[in-house]
Amino acid sequence: MPVNFMPTPQELFRFAPEMLLTLVATIIMVLEPLSGADGKRKFAVISFLSLAAAIALSVAAAGDPGAAFSSMIVVDGFSTFFRILVMVAGVLTILISTNYLRMEEHESGEYYALVLFSIVGQCIMVSANELIMLFIGLECSSIASYVLAGFLRDDKRNNESALKYFLLGSFATAFLLYGVAWIYGTTGYTNLSEIRRVLLDPNSNQNMVVISAATALMFVGFAFKVSAAPFQMWAPDVYQGAPAPVTAFMSVGPKAAAFAMFLRVLMTAFEPVKDRWEPLLWTSALATMVIGNFAALRQTNIKRLLAYSSIAHAGYIMVALTAHSDIGTAAAMFYLASYTFMNIGAFAVVTYIARKGERHVEIQDLAGLSQRRPVVAAMLTIFLLSLTGIPLTAGFFGKFYIFKAALDANMVWLAVLGMLNSAVAAYYYLRLIVVMYMQAPSDEMEELPAPSVGIQAAMFAAAAATVFLGVFPSVVLDYAGKSASFIR
Amino acid sequence: MLETVFFYAFAALTLAGAILTVTMRSAVHCAIALISSLAGVAGLYLLQHAEFLFAVQIVLYIGGVMVLFLFVIMLVNLDAAARERQFHRHWLAALACLAGTGALVALFLTRGAESFKLGAPAAEAAPGAGNIETLSMLLFREYLVPFELASLLLLVAIVGGVMMAKKRI
Amino acid sequence: MNLLDILLIIPAAGFLLTLLLPKDNPALVRNFTLFVSLIAFVLSLGLIGPVQSNPGHMTFETNTQWIEYPSIRYHVGLDGLSLWLVILSTFLTPIVILVSWKYIQNRVKEFYAFLLALLFGVLGVFVALDLFLFFVFWEISLVPMYFLVGIWGHDKRIYAAVKFFLYTMAGSALMLIAIIYLYNKSGTFDMPLMLDMMQKGRLALNGTEGFWLFLAFFFAFAIKVPLFPLHTWLPDAHGEAPTAGSVMLASVLLKLGTYGLVRICLPLFGEAARQNAAWIIGLAITGIIYGALVAMVQPNMKRLVAYSSVSHLGFVVLGVFTFTQVGLDGAVYQMLNHGISTGALFILVGMLYERRHSLEIADYGGVGTSAPWLSTMFVITTLASVGLPLLNNFVGEFLVLQGAAQVNFLYAVFAAIGVILSSVYMLWMVQRTFYGETPSEVKHHVNDLSAREWAVLVPLIVMMVWMGIGSQSFLPAVSAQNAQILELMKKPAAKEVANAR
Repeated sequence: MPVNFMPTPQELFRFAPEMLLTLVATIIMVLEPLSGADGKRKFAVISFLSLAAAIALSVAAAGDPGAAFSSMIVVDGFSTFFRILVMVAGVLTILISTNYLRMEEHESGEYYALVLFSIVGQCIMVSANELIMLFIGLECSSIASYVLAGFLRDDKRNNESALKYFLLGSFATAFLLYGVAWIYGTTGYTNLSEIRRVLLDPNSNQNMVVISAATALMFVGFAFKVSAAPFQMWAPDVYQGAPAPVTAFMSVGPKAAAFAMFLRVLMTAFEPVKDRWEPLLWTSALATMVIGNFAALRQTNIKRLLAYSSIAHAGYIMVALTAHSDIGTAAAMFYLASYTFMNIGAFAVVTYIARKGERHVEIQDLAGLSQRRPVVAAMLTIFLLSLTGIPLTAGFFGKFYIFKAALDANMVWLAVLGMLNSAVAAYYYLRLIVVMYMQAPSDEMEELPAPSVGIQAAMFAAAAATVFLGVFPSVVLDYAGKSASFIR
Repeated sequence: MLETVFFYAFAALTLAGAILTVTMRSAVHCAIALISSLAGVAGLYLLQHAEFLFAVQIVLYIGGVMVLFLFVIMLVNLDAAARERQFHRHWLAALACLAGTGALVALFLTRGAESFKLGAPAAEAAPGAGNIETLSMLLFREYLVPFELASLLLLVAIVGGVMMAKKRI
Repeated sequence: MNLLDILLIIPAAGFLLTLLLPKDNPALVRNFTLFVSLIAFVLSLGLIGPVQSNPGHMTFETNTQWIEYPSIRYHVGLDGLSLWLVILSTFLTPIVILVSWKYIQNRVKEFYAFLLALLFGVLGVFVALDLFLFFVFWEISLVPMYFLVGIWGHDKRIYAAVKFFLYTMAGSALMLIAIIYLYNKSGTFDMPLMLDMMQKGRLALNGTEGFWLFLAFFFAFAIKVPLFPLHTWLPDAHGEAPTAGSVMLASVLLKLGTYGLVRICLPLFGEAARQNAAWIIGLAITGIIYGALVAMVQPNMKRLVAYSSVSHLGFVVLGVFTFTQVGLDGAVYQMLNHGISTGALFILVGMLYERRHSLEIADYGGVGTSAPWLSTMFVITTLASVGLPLLNNFVGEFLVLQGAAQVNFLYAVFAAIGVILSSVYMLWMVQRTFYGETPSEVKHHVNDLSAREWAVLVPLIVMMVWMGIGSQSFLPAVSAQNAQILELMKKPAAKEVANAR
């Protein structure tokens, strides 16, 4: 038996972004106790730069695609797309966070280290081609998020949010792990491509009951992570309780990564048994859209409203997953990219509006924003119109591609119901715009200081990306379309 | 034949331990019952020729985790906990769970054990290349990266634990 | 890049530039936007010649790729059908800018910027030949109107704005699905290409498909028109909108719906349109009579004019679904007429409101003595609106009735009841407002027209008369295009007959 422990340089290069981020996060932890109370800002800069470098490394690694470490991870167009996406989400999150943490007097290196660890986990999730790797990446990302959700330890809502997220999240990952064990038990593999091979093999004579049960168990875990019905209950409480920048991060980064692994597992490993899970996904997609949109109608807290809206958006993406085609995959990828920008943008504004102690997160706190801060109001309007799906914004093309994929797959009813759902969604997004533009600010409102540089940068970048993707979607869509076939 | 006897013995030990864990009043008794349950599982591993898992089960769960449990139990105020009503109130939900499980078991029994065929039991390790050796070959070659990443996972968990527990860092 | 592309760019660029103007200089904003809209208007006049010389074909066509996959093209063009609607939009924009000159004092910059954005949206809808592009502009035109109603409207403005937005959104959601379905079927969003494929038999929709697709488009358009019973958003939106908003809404935005019916529903789904014509005509006639009856009992002038719109737009739908040359010509002509005369009515009502700060008819009386010229203009417009010969609406209504009579004489009879009722409610309002005793508030506040208001009203009155006596300047271009649409509708049906034999 040849013994070769040493990975080749090629393999290391393919894994370089993750290694860099882990290294930087560890260094931050080492430097943290050595730095004074007002020297914490440098950690933000370090993590920002390391993420930029990691993005560059991912791009470089994409030039030499292939598997690494006995097919544990695979660097292809699909994983590069999502790696860059979660890192960009991380960059934007760091931009939003710095001022917030200083305001809450909780600025510390651990925050940035945890964000980086979480991103490492997400990168592993999106490039893993193996169920155990996938599980470790998921846990890494989740545990970091649990802690981030409760980062302001003295805050009651933070504690509640973190505890809820932790308990329910652990429960869901247990289901996922159980499903993985079943799959390993029946097929004898944890590698996704091998599982596919076994399932396609006409001689293997698999027990479909066990396979379906295992798929269902894994579905529970995935559905929880992407907050799809019927496992979406945690999202509103957790999103509302967590610090606003963390909510921004949780609602995009881990979600995008979870969708990426969901897609990869469905399309690579379980594509041969699609008849089994298609009805399941169909129902879940519809239920997610309906629950998210109708519950959002009644919210008065902006964070909670955006939480339900993110559930609804998960529903739209589930529609693309249900289509299980290359077009559907590409549509989901494009949607996640546009969703990342518009949602982080919206949360950047929420972070800004909330101010110290997050006292201003009711919809009424937006009253007259268009007069008090016209630029911020205009930005939030762009994000909200994009979330509604108005043309010339990224959200419109996202929805368009998703429903096109659904129609391609002959799911006319799902497409029709989904579109009607998005018309319902218009109502609650409009309500925010109404309050901003059509209500006068009340007199007792405190003065709103100008947004910090970080928030401004995040807002403008997100708005620019939202509009850019709304006018020239091909840039991202072409790439998504090309890389969608990799996960077959 | 002997194996079957052992199997039922260990299974009974596991179940009895589990039942005692949730029904005993004193927390220390609960912990000890849990130890016996875990020991039963360890025995089941041994029957499956999973010597490594057997060892891990003994060292990690019965040794490490349980000691930790006992420490925690000693640290918290036991008298208050003992006086409080226990979780017997949810007996309706428990009955429902029991009925569900019973139905599942009945289903599997009526459809025959064949419908629930799992992979063939692991073959006895080849002489000379013991169970542990095979495992380590796998773990440090094919699964080297997940193995290393698990350390990252633990690091994150430790950082998180410290973060959440300490008032001021 | 031809004249039409430049015309599209101007309002968009104007919108962006307006946003960059300083906030504290409303005069600059007003002058700048007026300038931009006038340039757009003058340029649009340049479109008339080339289109009229070749009305049955697309002129000023531009067809370049926007998005590679799925193939979405920036395909715009102008023919006899869209020409006058484009000019109507550019004609009315400077007018509403002038109308709002004094009335809008609050957040001036945003107001005028939204007006230009609105112009961009509607122009886009009228010239788009790619279904996807059409949808994009359709939605874009929605957003500025929402803000115009919601920010500068009257008391119940937010309710009205949200209702308007959601109604249209619900309709367009179904339309988008239908558009994507058509794409999956044909592989293109391009309307002329799709029609060509249908003619050559490469794209065939079976009965059920045709029916549902037709219905999806029809539903979206019927909400916009608005066809009874989907009209309920209209009185609210009109009643609450500022004058400029009401004018643009009535004169241009409602036409998007009827334009869509003629441009998309008829040629693409001729078969389904024929099959469903009976109940649609029924709804149209119900709308004509219902709108008129409700208008009669309105105490609020704006709502009265709004309900009269429901009635007038019923005529347009009736004309479209007669599938006769005269009916269709009348319908398109009536779209333009309604744009001019109802627009003028809203402007005049707005002028009264600026003076007296009330929309209730009961608050007025004897305005004729205190503001004779204003009253004269109002009466002329009213007469145009009720369809007095020599004024514009007469021509359109006559043609529509003629077309309806060709199909079924009863249609014409019932629709004619609407004409009679319209003179009742309009003249009754005129009588209560302009004649009789003059209350003291009216005497003190309602003075006569200013120079700016003259500048607003004279072009409108001139157009009413011109369109009434000189319909030959406008109709040939429209007819040529309509003839072609009817031809397109006929062909598949004829083919089926041939196949059956």
